[in-house]
Amino acid sequence: MNYIVLVKQVPDVSQITDNAFDPETGNLMRGKLATVINELDAQALALANRMVTLENNPKSKVIALTMGPPMADEVLKYSLARCADKAVLLTDRALGGADTVATANPLAFAVRKIAADMDMKDDYIIISGMQSVDGDTAQVPAQLAEELNVPCIAYATNVQYKDGEFEFETAISGGKQIVKAKTLPAVITVSKYEELLFPTIAKTRWANDFETLTYTADDIKATQIGVKGSKTRVIRVFPPPKTQRKCQQVNSVQEFADLIKESCKKDDGVESATDAKKADYILPKLRTNKFDRGYEGTIKEIEEYEILARLLKENGVKSTSDVTDEIKAKLLKSKEIKLNPRTVDALISAFDAKDPAYQGQVWVMAEINHDGKSCTAATFELIGKARHLADSLNTQVGVMLAGANVKHFSDGLIHGGADEIYVIEDEILSEFDPWPYRKAVAEVVDKYKPQIILYAATHQGRVLAPMVSYRLSCGLTADCTSLDIRDSSRKGEVAVLMQTRPALGGNVMATICTKESTCQMATARPGVMQKMDPDTSRTGKIIECEVNVSQEDRSIEIVDTQIGGGAVNFDADVIISAGRGLTDKSSFDNVLDDMTASIAKLGVKTERGASRAAVEQGYIERLYQVGQTGTAVGPQVYIALAISGAIQHMIGVENSQTIFAVNNDPQASVFHQCDYYMVGNVEKIVPELTQLLGGK
Amino acid sequence: MSKTSDYNRVSVLIVGGGPAGLAAAIKLKQLQPDRGVVVLDKAKHPGGHNLSGAVLEEECIDELLKNIDPNWRNNKGSEIFARKVIQDDTYMFPSKTSKINMGTPIKLAKLCQLGFGKLVHKGDTLISISQLTRWLTGYAQQLGVELLHGFAIREIIMSEDKTKALGVRTQEQGLDHAGNKQFNYVPAEDIYADNIVLAEGALGLLTEQFVNEAGLKRKATPLFSVGVKEIFEVSDQQYKDFGDNRCVHAMGYPIWDIISGPKMFGGGIMYAMGDNKIAVGMIVGADWKECDFNPQEALVHFKSHAFVEPFIKDGKIIEAGAKMIPEGGYHAIPRDVETKSIGRNNVVILGDSAGLVNMLKIKGLHNAIYSGIYAGAALAACGDDHDAVAAAYTKLLDASSIDEEMREAANYRQVVAKFGNLLGFPISVVGNLLPRLDIEPDYEAMKPTKYKYRTEKHFDKDAFVAAGNVDHREEQPCHCHVLDESICENICKPKYENLCSGYGRPCITFCPAGVYDLVAGQMKPVNALNCLHCKTCQNKCPYDNLRWFTPEGTGGPDYKFS
Repeated sequence: MNYIVLVKQVPDVSQITDNAFDPETGNLMRGKLATVINELDAQALALANRMVTLENNPKSKVIALTMGPPMADEVLKYSLARCADKAVLLTDRALGGADTVATANPLAFAVRKIAADMDMKDDYIIISGMQSVDGDTAQVPAQLAEELNVPCIAYATNVQYKDGEFEFETAISGGKQIVKAKTLPAVITVSKYEELLFPTIAKTRWANDFETLTYTADDIKATQIGVKGSKTRVIRVFPPPKTQRKCQQVNSVQEFADLIKESCKKDDGVESATDAKKADYILPKLRTNKFDRGYEGTIKEIEEYEILARLLKENGVKSTSDVTDEIKAKLLKSKEIKLNPRTVDALISAFDAKDPAYQGQVWVMAEINHDGKSCTAATFELIGKARHLADSLNTQVGVMLAGANVKHFSDGLIHGGADEIYVIEDEILSEFDPWPYRKAVAEVVDKYKPQIILYAATHQGRVLAPMVSYRLSCGLTADCTSLDIRDSSRKGEVAVLMQTRPALGGNVMATICTKESTCQMATARPGVMQKMDPDTSRTGKIIECEVNVSQEDRSIEIVDTQIGGGAVNFDADVIISAGRGLTDKSSFDNVLDDMTASIAKLGVKTERGASRAAVEQGYIERLYQVGQTGTAVGPQVYIALAISGAIQHMIGVENSQTIFAVNNDPQASVFHQCDYYMVGNVEKIVPELTQLLGGK
Repeated sequence: MSKTSDYNRVSVLIVGGGPAGLAAAIKLKQLQPDRGVVVLDKAKHPGGHNLSGAVLEEECIDELLKNIDPNWRNNKGSEIFARKVIQDDTYMFPSKTSKINMGTPIKLAKLCQLGFGKLVHKGDTLISISQLTRWLTGYAQQLGVELLHGFAIREIIMSEDKTKALGVRTQEQGLDHAGNKQFNYVPAEDIYADNIVLAEGALGLLTEQFVNEAGLKRKATPLFSVGVKEIFEVSDQQYKDFGDNRCVHAMGYPIWDIISGPKMFGGGIMYAMGDNKIAVGMIVGADWKECDFNPQEALVHFKSHAFVEPFIKDGKIIEAGAKMIPEGGYHAIPRDVETKSIGRNNVVILGDSAGLVNMLKIKGLHNAIYSGIYAGAALAACGDDHDAVAAAYTKLLDASSIDEEMREAANYRQVVAKFGNLLGFPISVVGNLLPRLDIEPDYEAMKPTKYKYRTEKHFDKDAFVAAGNVDHREEQPCHCHVLDESICENICKPKYENLCSGYGRPCITFCPAGVYDLVAGQMKPVNALNCLHCKTCQNKCPYDNLRWFTPEGTGGPDYKFS
């Protein structure tokens, strides 16, 4: 067996400082950042090395492959110094500016070339990190699998070798699975495998002497590369809004409990990330003023059009056909707006852009909970968003519902805001396998041609969405926090989906548009969008779709599925942590038991956490450690009990929406970094608080 | 492993990629471009573990680069040398609010050629030693030196007769907390070399091992200071008020004053670092007696002094760190008993590892670089006669300005230690006429006495460590060892528990990183992951009961501006 490991050089996001941003544009100045190997790719390398060890075949080779500028050679040296036997650098100016499609495509062609040149036949496995810390889309590996038409096993956390076959432990929503690839080659993506490899001095010296193979665009003959081959374009990049902590002291436990309850309510935490001044989009042809361009993607554009519209009005222009050369000349002389002849023409003709760039419904891909009893909350959240978008676009909301026996969920989905349910039923779809799913979904999409599809960025959605989008040559934006219909009039595009998402570990926000696609696709994390209150009086249509899937389409064999289990779920809505300020382990356990039980009653998911000091005291396993070392978390509510608030801890919770703290030391630094706090003994306050929150 | 078999040998192995080690590599490669030279450093990045004042006497850089880049001052990256000292202030702080300018007495002392007068920095360069190290790394790379970062060395491999070294052994990697091998375990690796250059910095572990095993001797006890530093980013106006070309050295408050009599050796510093950055630090002789004292508490008081505070008020701390400075001086340089060489046979000891700090100037960086230059020259001159290197290096060093300087300052620090500041400074004027003074090691100095100035709240060591960008892999055996826990529990605890206000033990007090802490009432090196690698613990436990070992490579601070 051979192992091709995809590695990527990324900016060291842990080192991003405020002055890494251009104050004028808000753009990140990448040149100012140190680079490192993407952490998950380092883990992929470790998993590959584990597989080599398990297979114990001296002929096995590990080949590290990266695409990037010449300096990306550094991550190949990193790989060689640890376990790689060979290294390939795919570098070419023509490959620059690529989105995920234009990255997955050339990488797939490079894999083909490596396999051919090294005469690997089908006897190889491609291993990569689930996602990179800079792009953070998790799309490239799945799209690469789609291009190569090979199985994709995502979210691998461990591997075993049984009877000459690898079995992978993978994370799925709320549990884990043991799966095998039905055919080789296969793509494995790693979401957590922490025993990173160490270099040795001798191997490092050897790696430094090693001449890596370099491939250019011409060598691999890829079909979709660079800006041209990309299916998305970035509209703008801006720094995320900074949250200021309130640091408000609360003296009554009752008030504290009320604040906790209030904060646990799901709010529409979605700030509209586009600059548009007006919230609800109106199609141009429905606007009362034909020169109204108040729905552009950026404030700058809106202002330009506003000035221009006024100037035109002042010159008595009623329609763009009235604009004479004389008027154009006047515009060019205007002091309010700097124009050149070309932009004048472009802007004026933009007023004529009236027809939406896309046609069709707004769709949501439904997902079923693992118990098979209901659709996921995320599905309803997406329907809520889709309803909003569809209303703006004067169209309908469709939901794709796939599985073995799922039709009965339709009514619930309609009550949640859907107009049409596209039911795809087949025994093969009873459990999620990327191949039959992506084939069935793509067939239905191709037939009914919606203009937008939203997927949940779950374990399932993050594999399915990139495969479907690649299969249908459509753009896809991952993990959107805000979705708005806006115009890009100057490009002649009206009513397009502007997709805003965080990137670079949350250090920047980017607004992205789909281009050269028949459908705009996006994923959104669960909990980000808001669902509608169910309305049982709503009615809709159920469309049963015939799809052409068979046993042949199975790509993975599911050996075992375990739901639940002791895994720590830091994706919970509320995390309650305690520190060494508690007297002993039993007090620690009591406090956390009571708090998690009472808060869970508010209808939110809870998880417990701990400061490092508490872990060192032996109060709880290291798995639960929250902070810079340990796990960084970003729940809706974070409650710190008897935690002093060492900076290392607080860095790890800074993405939390609301932070509560209780500590008996009035000087505790946690009080400067939280929203609400009480000074007092945790062991005394918690019992009362628990009562007020609704009891244990 | 056949693919790597040739890579466990090298001609010259330099342990430590700081200014001294890099200077040796750069000099040697100039003279012998084909010689195989490997520099090993435990930091993740070049300069990551390098922290200092620093005021540099620049001539050593000229000497190092004159043949390869005589125009270095105008070349890329030389902006790190942009800050020449124009305003050089030395103050005496009699109290929290007052100051006396010592400029005139020092100039007077200089005129009279008294040792005291060496404390003049005008014309020198204010520099970040971390940046200097990165800059020198560039030259070393160009010359083909193999620079390997992130490798921790555990021990030096001695020849059977212990007269020379054969190589070094790396620290194991991939052990868990309890010392069990993980999947990613990498055993210790032996690297063999013809010549070994020890340039590890103060209190180097390999250096001390070699000194012991090869029978090198110091005539005087090595003394140290502990330096702690914070780099502030201040407002345009504050920086302008302070001055871009200014360094300030301050004596007195808060570590000694005239009324209560002499207390500790040392003082505060303020250096302009460019881009609105001011380094503020406190350097305190590690022979302080107060069990509840640490240099960080002194730094808190220093920062609130009426002179200091306005320049840094509301400033943001962008980096912080701690290190030890070897202050034993001339007589504390380890030498071979017979040949007097600094090192023995094929091994040489450089810079801070050898203790080449001039205490009159409070500067050692130029000596470190010169020692590197001489080591490089000696290695080239001896060629295949590997065992002649120690003698050749020492000969060059002893004939140089370093020797002259070190002799001049020989007794200064010891005199101050012996007689205290008030008496010591004046006596130091004639210090060199006195016989060699023997001083107790730093760890014996501690007494159950208390520090005069109290702070309301303890210094935030966690924030300090965070500003030092400290990182260690979590799962690894603890690298800070307690030799005998019963000493901590049965002897130290009863004596110091109530005296070390709030901290509970001397080690918990003095460790700048807060590595030591109480767990269920017992002292444990529980936060070893916060370690700044200053090694104060190795030198300051009143029962000499703590030992510091190198953790897995890449662990430790990551200094960028220090």
